[in-house]
Amino acid sequence: MKILKIPKQNLDLFMAVLPAFGEVYAPVQRGKGFAFDRPTRWSDVQMSYPRTILPLKKFLLPPREVTFAFNPREGYRDQLEEAGKPVVLFGVHAYDIFGLNILDRVFSQGKYVDPYYVTRRRNTAIIGVDFEPDDKHFAYSMNADFVDSGFDLFLSDIGEDYLVLVGTSRGDDMVLMSGCLLSEPGEADFAEYKRRSGLRRSAYRIKLELGELPEILEMEYHSKVWEEMGDRCLSCGSCSAVCPTCYCFDINDELELAPATGNRIRSWDSCLFKTHALVAGGENFRSSRASRIKFRYYHKQRGFVAEYGRPSCVGCGRCVTTCPAKIDIVTVIETIRGERNESSSSVTAKA
Amino acid sequence: MSETKTVLIIDDDPDYVTAIEALLQSSGYQVRSACNGREGLHLARTIRPDLILLDVMMTERTEGFFMLQEARRIPELSQTPVIVISSIYTDQPNFRVSPEAGWLPASLFLPKPVDPARLLAEVRRLTEAAADPIGHSAAGRRES
Repeated sequence: MKILKIPKQNLDLFMAVLPAFGEVYAPVQRGKGFAFDRPTRWSDVQMSYPRTILPLKKFLLPPREVTFAFNPREGYRDQLEEAGKPVVLFGVHAYDIFGLNILDRVFSQGKYVDPYYVTRRRNTAIIGVDFEPDDKHFAYSMNADFVDSGFDLFLSDIGEDYLVLVGTSRGDDMVLMSGCLLSEPGEADFAEYKRRSGLRRSAYRIKLELGELPEILEMEYHSKVWEEMGDRCLSCGSCSAVCPTCYCFDINDELELAPATGNRIRSWDSCLFKTHALVAGGENFRSSRASRIKFRYYHKQRGFVAEYGRPSCVGCGRCVTTCPAKIDIVTVIETIRGERNESSSSVTAKA
Repeated sequence: MSETKTVLIIDDDPDYVTAIEALLQSSGYQVRSACNGREGLHLARTIRPDLILLDVMMTERTEGFFMLQEARRIPELSQTPVIVISSIYTDQPNFRVSPEAGWLPASLFLPKPVDPARLLAEVRRLTEAAADPIGHSAAGRRES
């Protein structure tokens, strides 16, 4: 992997040439939070932010998209051309890239490859940046605080400069296009990189033990914790919406007045919604809130381990900051593991 | 000219704006001006000029670049000819990225200080070539 460096003061010039690779989105302030959006000037770009409100899946798996249109004259007309518009995502944290790498396994591999996701992923350039963990991050515990793939460039703060890891040939093209803005790093730069990496790892305030968690979940299938969480959960689906790796979607046909004419729509769904497991005939396999929130935990922390060898959680902390009922995944797991006393308050976020 | 063409100058140097304004008005152009990218973008959406003369280093040193990208996303400005006029290449010697490399959606790049006769000729060419406003027919006309 090629490693370069760029002075922080030249990042604005570097970003100016990125539109050659697609429409540029970066973390910008939105209210009290942050969101990936188009910056209208360099000072809009926030290089230091805790987390964005929504993860990157909004670009790869949009909240609502027309997958194809249909009418009797033309038959089916897919919307892949729209999905193929190039995009550059600038300033992405490692856990979000890790989240995309997990989605890649779901949508890009195996028997059923999703052409919309794959087309967008192929046309999305990603420039990562490191971050200082806050009191809700636990990416280190989830082994998602560092990525070695899934990005084109990755910037690491080493003081006056960013160390730049070049991950792909497209990233290399970005470097070449930017002329003399990047240069070769030296031994002192590498030493500073290692020093700061160690500091970032030790800055995580949440240390979550994941060993034997799938087995412990198996043992705790009938734990009263799930009923307690069900009592608290509002089934709003916020945790799913903000999760980088929740990918449930629903498919509906929107018909026009003309016969056999309309659009097939894919939109985000959530396993917390009451209708998620409702099937024809009126049977609902997860009609209670407790069964739905339990399903979510089991899918992410147990089912995913069996299928892909690791949990699908990346430790971004979005669900913790977003849940209106203050259900906290960290305290839930600690309670299930027996590291906390079980009580009605045990699954809520720490103050 | 069959009708009066409007040129929008976006530049934070009032002396430069005054000089170019006088040059263009004496040649029959109507001229409006703005002193930064955001004001310029707002004015451009309002008056829909026939041509924009755009500085780069204003409130921020890449402001013109960002403003131009934003303008191209606005349907009524997506095809408006733009001449970027800047001293960024002399001011930032490490920025050796040719404006011809495909990242700058402008009709033409001219370095400051600009030759008035050359500028006037390019303004005339671009305002009269409305059928090809991005200036693709004049490929290779960008200068650094």
